[in-house]
Amino acid sequence: MLNLNLKTTPFHERTSALCQPQNWRKWAGYFAAGSYEHTLDREYWAIRNAAALIDVSPLIKYVIKGRDAAALLHRVTTRNIHKMSVGQVFYTGWCDEEGKMIDDGTVTRFDETTFRLTAAEPNLRWLMMNAVGMDVEISEVTDDVAALSFQGPNTRKVLNKVTEKPVDELKYFRLMTNKINGVEVTISRTGYTGDLGYEIWMDAKDALPVWDKLMEVGGDYGISPVGILAMDMARVEAGLFMLDVDYTSASHAWIESQKSSPFELGLDWTVALDKPGYFVGRRALEKEKREGSAWKMVGLAVDWVGMEKLFGKVGLPPQIPGSAVRASLPVMVGNVQVGYASTSTWSPLLKTYIALAHLQKPYYEIGTDVRMEITVEHHRQYAPAKVVKLPFYEPEWKKR
Amino acid sequence: MTKHYDTIIIGAGHNGLVAAAYLAKQGKKVLVLERRAIVGGSVVTESFGDGFAVDSVFTGGSLRPDIVKDLKLPLPEVKEKPAFISLQPDGNHIALDAESIKRISEKDAARFPEFVRFMDKAASILDTAYATIMPRLPMNFGIKEGYGLLELGLELKLAGRKDMLNFIRALPMTAQELVEEYFESEIVKAAICAVAIHGSTLGPMGAGTGYTLIHNWMNRGGLAHKNVGKAGEITTALANAVKAFGGEIRTEAEVASIKIESQIAKGVILANGEEISANQIFSSADPKHTLLKLVGAQDLPPEFVWHTQSIKMRGSVAKIHLQTNGNHGIPAGTAVLAPSIKYLEKAYDATKYGEISEKPYLEVTTSGNTVSIHFQFAPYNLKHGNWNVEREKVENLAINTLAEFFPNLKSSIVNRKSITPLDLEETYGLTEGDINHGQLMLDQFLFMRPIPGWSNHKTPIDNLYLCGSGVHGGGGVSGAAGRNAAKALK
Repeated sequence: MLNLNLKTTPFHERTSALCQPQNWRKWAGYFAAGSYEHTLDREYWAIRNAAALIDVSPLIKYVIKGRDAAALLHRVTTRNIHKMSVGQVFYTGWCDEEGKMIDDGTVTRFDETTFRLTAAEPNLRWLMMNAVGMDVEISEVTDDVAALSFQGPNTRKVLNKVTEKPVDELKYFRLMTNKINGVEVTISRTGYTGDLGYEIWMDAKDALPVWDKLMEVGGDYGISPVGILAMDMARVEAGLFMLDVDYTSASHAWIESQKSSPFELGLDWTVALDKPGYFVGRRALEKEKREGSAWKMVGLAVDWVGMEKLFGKVGLPPQIPGSAVRASLPVMVGNVQVGYASTSTWSPLLKTYIALAHLQKPYYEIGTDVRMEITVEHHRQYAPAKVVKLPFYEPEWKKR
Repeated sequence: MTKHYDTIIIGAGHNGLVAAAYLAKQGKKVLVLERRAIVGGSVVTESFGDGFAVDSVFTGGSLRPDIVKDLKLPLPEVKEKPAFISLQPDGNHIALDAESIKRISEKDAARFPEFVRFMDKAASILDTAYATIMPRLPMNFGIKEGYGLLELGLELKLAGRKDMLNFIRALPMTAQELVEEYFESEIVKAAICAVAIHGSTLGPMGAGTGYTLIHNWMNRGGLAHKNVGKAGEITTALANAVKAFGGEIRTEAEVASIKIESQIAKGVILANGEEISANQIFSSADPKHTLLKLVGAQDLPPEFVWHTQSIKMRGSVAKIHLQTNGNHGIPAGTAVLAPSIKYLEKAYDATKYGEISEKPYLEVTTSGNTVSIHFQFAPYNLKHGNWNVEREKVENLAINTLAEFFPNLKSSIVNRKSITPLDLEETYGLTEGDINHGQLMLDQFLFMRPIPGWSNHKTPIDNLYLCGSGVHGGGGVSGAAGRNAAKALK
C-alpha cells in the first residue's frame, strides 16, 4: 500500500524526545523539528554564540559515480567541476536550458570519480536526462545518509574533543573523513547559517552515537539542538536563499516570470562562463551576462525610526515578528511597486528588521531608498528601507 | 593544413545530394562524404552479382519535378502507368483500375475514379506542405517563420473547401475507415490499405494510416511503383549534377563525429581520423544517428536529447531480392499480397510482440529477370533470436508464401540477396532499419518532425543542419527535405 506518512529521520528518537512544542515541519517528506523550545531565542543565539546541532538529514542526496561523473556535474551545474579537487565542496545552482534555476545545493568530490550532490527537491529525472550516453551511476542516498549541521563559533572546539583527528586544518568548503564515538563520518566545513560551522555525514544506522557524543561533550560549550525556524533567521542574516521560498524552480514554475536566473539570485560567482564545453543553460546565461539582469536579489534593511513613526501614529511601539516571515511583501519606490521581499526577519544580532528582496533594474543598486510593506494594526503601511549588500552578517571566524 | 569547405554534407543519399547540388549551384564549395563505396543511400540500384541488379531499398520513385528542373537533371518525366495488382489464390489476379474492378464490384468500379481524383488532390496538397519549411511551433509562430504557412494555407484554400476539409479529415483516420467510405470489396480495400502501411510499422486499423496512404500515393504518383529498377539513376544524376556544379563527392569516407566548439559545428572527423573543416555541416543521416552518435548527447540540451531519443524508428521492413532465369511467372507492375484488411492488421500485430509475421504482407516488383519482395513485418527488435539467424527464416517465408501463387518461382531462382532491418542499419545507416528516418506518424509530422521546436532544419549546434528524410519534407524519394534544408541556410 502507498505510504503517505512523513518519514522520520535517523535522529528522531532523540529529536522527538527534545521537541517541546511538537511543532514538526514538513521537509522533503520528513518530519523536521521547527524548534525545540517554545520561543526561538536560545536556539538562535546558540547558532551565533555557541554551538547549534541541527538535524538536516532530509536534504536530498545523490551519489554520482563513474568515469563520467565529473562530466555529468560539469554539464548540469554552473560550476567548473573539472577544477574541483578531491575533498572539496562546491556550492552551486543548476539551470534549465533557458538559464533559469531548477535547484541549488552542494557538490562534494570524494575521489576522482565519486561525488555527492545535495538538493532541496528530487532531481533524479533531470540528472538521468543529462546523463544520456555517459558512463555514470546515479543513486539517491537520502534515506541512507544521516546529516547533522553543527553551527556556531564553539563548534570547532567541540569537534576537536570528539573526533579522532583534529578538525583545525579543515578549510572552508573542504571535507575530511573522521571518527566520532567509533563511527566513521565525513565532516565538511559547510552550513546554512553564515557562521563557523560543519556538516557531519554518517551512515543512517550509526546516527545516534554521533548525536549522543556531541550533546554530551557539547554541554560545556553551550550546545543546543536547534530547529529549522531559528536556522531560517540565521540564513537570512547570511543572505542565503531557499527554494520555494525565495525562488521558484524552473521545473515547476507556472509562468515565465516566476523563474529566476542565478545572476538574479546573486550567484554570479558560481556561474563559470569561462569553463570549457557545453553546460545546461550556457547560451542563455552568456546572453544575460552580456545584457544585464532584469532583477536582482538584494538585502533590505528597514529603517527603525521610520517604522517607529508608523506604529507611533496608532499609539504602539514597533511590532516585530518572532520568526522569519516567508511571505511576499511589496517593495515600492514612490507609488510604484519595484519588487518584493520573499523572506523577512528580525535580526536579533543586528537589531534590524531585514529582508531578502527581489528588485527590478535599476532599483537593485546598493543604497537605493525604497519602502517595504508592513502591517500596522491591520493596516498596510510602507516602512522606509535601504538596499544593502548581502550578507547582512558575516563574522570574521566564518572562513578562518 | 586541412582542407576547408563552405559546406560538408554527410551522406550521399538523394536528400544529401539534392542539398549539395543546390548549394554547389549557388557557388558554395561543397563536399559530400559517403560512408559506402557507392552513392545513393536508400535510393540506389545495386548489383549483387552478374545480371543481378536491383533497387535494394526504395523501389523506383522520382524526384519532385521542380528539383529535376532546377538542377537540370537528365531524368525524363515518367509517363508509364504500371499496373497495381492484388494477388488472388485462384490465379485470377485483379488489377486496381476501373475496368478490372468491375469483375468484382460494379459499385467500386464506379467509385474508383473519384477516389483516384481525391487521392491525387490530397497528394498534391501534401506535396505542397512538404515543400514548405515549417515554423518552429509553439515558440516561433511569428511573421518570419509563419509566412510559409500562410502560403500553404492559400494553397489549401485554392484546393477547394471540400477537398481541403477531406484532406485534413483523412490524415488522422485509419486507412480502413478511409477506404470503407469508398469501396465495398474487401480485395479493393485491402490492396489500397497495403499501400497505406507500406514502409510503416502500422496496421491499416491504426490511426494516422490515412496520412501514410496519402504520403505513399504522393511518392509513387498513385498505387503502383514507377521506374522500378531505376532508383540508382536518380542519385547518379544528382551526383553528376553536384560535380558539374563544382562540388566534390568522396565515397568510403565515413564520418565518425562532428567537431563542435562552444556549441558551434566546425567540421567533421572521419573514421580514419582525418579532420575536415567547414562553415556549415549538413547531415542527411537520420536525426538519431546525427544527434546522438555524430554530435553526442553531451553537447546537446537535455530536453532536446530527450525528444531525440523519443523519435520512433521501429523499422520492420525486410527486402528479399531474387535473381531468376526469367520463368518466375510474376506479372509486370506492383503486386501485393493483401487478401483482407484483417490479414494486414494481423501481419502488423506480430511486430508488437517482436515477432516476424508468419503470414506477411508482401509487395512484389520485377525488373527483367529480377524479383524484389518487400516483406512486412520483420521487426528490427526481435523478441527471440537475432537477425543473423532469422534472415533465412524471412527469406524462406517470403519465397514460400509467394510460391503458392507462382509455382514456377522456386525453380527459377538462381541467386538471392536479402536485406534485413539490421542490414538496413549496418549497411545503409538507417537507425533501427527505419527506411523513413523516423516513422511517418502524426506526432512526427509537419512542425513535429524531427522533433517539436526544431522543424527548420537547424539544431542546437550552430551551423549544423539536418537535411535527410527524418526532417519535414522527408520520407520518400521527392528530395523536398534536401532542398528545404538548402533554402533554410539563407
